[in-house]
Amino acid sequence: MLIPHPLLGLRDAQEFTYLGDASLLNRPDPATPGAEAAFCDYVFLRDNPAGVHRELWFHEQGDRSWLVVTRNTLTHEILSAELASDVKAGAAQ
Amino acid sequence: MTDLLPVTALGDSAPRSETFGPLSLSENAGLALASLALRRGQAAPAPFGLALPDVARAVTSGALGAFWTGRGQWMIEAGGKAESDFAAALEAEAPGCSVTEQTDGFVAFEVVSEAGAARLEALMSKLVNIDPKTLGPGCCTRTGLEHMTVFLVRRSETRLAVIGMRSLAGSLWHALSQAARRLEN
Amino acid sequence: MTFSGFKVIKEALTGYKGWGPLWRNPVPKPSYDIVIIGGGGHGLATAYYLAKRYGQANVAVLEKGWIGSGNAGRNTTIIRSNYLLPGNQPFYELSMKLWETLEQDTNFNSMVSQRGIINLIHSDGQRDAYRRRGNSMMISGAGARLLGRDELRQMVPFLNFDNARFPIKGGLMQERAGTARHDGVVWGYARGADRRGVDIIQNCEVTGFRIENGAVQGVETTRGFIGAGKVGVSVAGSSGRVMGYAGRRLPIESHALQAFVSEGLKPVIPGVITFGAGHFYVSQSDKGGLVFGGDIDGYNSYAQRGGLPVIEDVLEGGMALMPMIGRARLLRAWGGLVDMSMDGSPIIDRTDIAGLYFNGAWNYGGFKATPAAGLTFAHLLATDTPHETATAFRFDRFNRGYVIDEKGVGAQPNLH
Repeated sequence: MLIPHPLLGLRDAQEFTYLGDASLLNRPDPATPGAEAAFCDYVFLRDNPAGVHRELWFHEQGDRSWLVVTRNTLTHEILSAELASDVKAGAAQ
Repeated sequence: MTDLLPVTALGDSAPRSETFGPLSLSENAGLALASLALRRGQAAPAPFGLALPDVARAVTSGALGAFWTGRGQWMIEAGGKAESDFAAALEAEAPGCSVTEQTDGFVAFEVVSEAGAARLEALMSKLVNIDPKTLGPGCCTRTGLEHMTVFLVRRSETRLAVIGMRSLAGSLWHALSQAARRLEN
Repeated sequence: MTFSGFKVIKEALTGYKGWGPLWRNPVPKPSYDIVIIGGGGHGLATAYYLAKRYGQANVAVLEKGWIGSGNAGRNTTIIRSNYLLPGNQPFYELSMKLWETLEQDTNFNSMVSQRGIINLIHSDGQRDAYRRRGNSMMISGAGARLLGRDELRQMVPFLNFDNARFPIKGGLMQERAGTARHDGVVWGYARGADRRGVDIIQNCEVTGFRIENGAVQGVETTRGFIGAGKVGVSVAGSSGRVMGYAGRRLPIESHALQAFVSEGLKPVIPGVITFGAGHFYVSQSDKGGLVFGGDIDGYNSYAQRGGLPVIEDVLEGGMALMPMIGRARLLRAWGGLVDMSMDGSPIIDRTDIAGLYFNGAWNYGGFKATPAAGLTFAHLLATDTPHETATAFRFDRFNRGYVIDEKGVGAQPNLH
């Protein structure tokens, strides 16, 4: 599998390690009511679709960037890859 | 007092060098390395007059060089300065940046081809899953080589630096020399 | 039709004309007391024990393809009960005991072969860990034996004992462990369930649940709606997909796990051997092929196939452990889907939807659990209370803080 790194172009997936569901970017606010239950869901529950999945990959043998990769779990086709820092910054705006 | 003898990353008293037909492989024991990272919002400095390069690029100026390692991060090299406190020298040149000594963490091997770029690229294609066409002179990247993480810096058409983890120097030398030897045969 | 030696000889002499189909191919009824989704080893074992032990025969097993075409037909057939933690070990030991009597129980040759498993030890710390695990196994009655290097060398002289990086210092052996014929297990349970009145309905994919007032009424399928008093989901590998029809997120990711078999060789490997310094395990099938495997591919997948990096990794492990494997040719490689859970342990539990029950999250270990998963899931479906050996396999163990994490890597499914 080749991952289209936004800065470095196509890179072998072996250079990356995998974390999973990109919803892990959305850490709950510990100060809100119900935060304990929200954290349980955040830590233990995952979207696990058969189809398009947004997920976090770390370019460990590369520039050490985190990517949000959109990939089809049925075909392994990669639809897009973005820098997670950009995704996070975009969400914050 | 015990006599302490300095050894290279490969454990020898002098840097190792070996020739495989038109390819030569040598340990660059004198290379000093220090990493430089920008703090958030900080502008890039120009340490020792080096214009810090863009993504996946490397620059040199005499014995000094810099190559990109990540967004807002570079490795700065200085040939023949391994014995000095290069990180301190760099820190003075890049006030406010995060500078970390790296010389003792890495080993640098220089691969030189006497038979043009083709031979060097043949070696690369045996060892790393990087298209040699995307790693021309002045380019650099980090990738996996036999499961070891390495920086590749293409110093010229016929010269490639492979900078890997110092504790794996022997394994890295083995991987490079085996591949070079097989090309020779 | 009952199998016996006499019957086999008689059929051999009369042209095999007396063998009939082992199960019917029924048209689904409008409704059943219990519908089990998934005609793998677990689903069929559940139906078998429901009928045989709990007197529930108005049961259907719905299978998307043909029975045993998923993980039951894709695993490496190892059976063992060499776990450490109290939540796990009694359950797997129950499974081991059921394996030992399976063939008599189902009157079907599932080729259960207790040829033993050896987990190799490469360091002093690992010996301490395995000694502790061995003690845990002995407490549960599973039995365990710590092997010294010399004894081990006599048993398996072909291993790379003097590997500079991973020298073999001994092993932990469970002599009662071994292998079983995966298809034979599926067929034995299917035949036994069918004979007791269970409808096995193949080519019938579940496409949704009918849920009213928080209670399940039945399932929508490619062959129409089928009503059910209770529905048991037993589709490990596709749990996320099927429970998604009920709108539920799970503490599970689906991953691809590959397995490999070499060309047939003369008998060389006495039992199952696992490498303790990398992920590689190997046994030899009765046909002579070396059956081996290693890590999952590491990223979510529903593709039932894996990639070359893991093949390379597994074969590197094989070469480090037993260099002679380099002379064998690889015959086949394939992949299956596994539910990787947040603590590496399974779930057999009710859900928050009345009448909907779940059996899944089997990680690497579903095949060996087949008899006990079937029995305990049947117990839960029939009595609404968990079986005494499966009380820890609950959904709420995560938010209660009672995870069963054998490997100790936390909520990172691809590392278990």
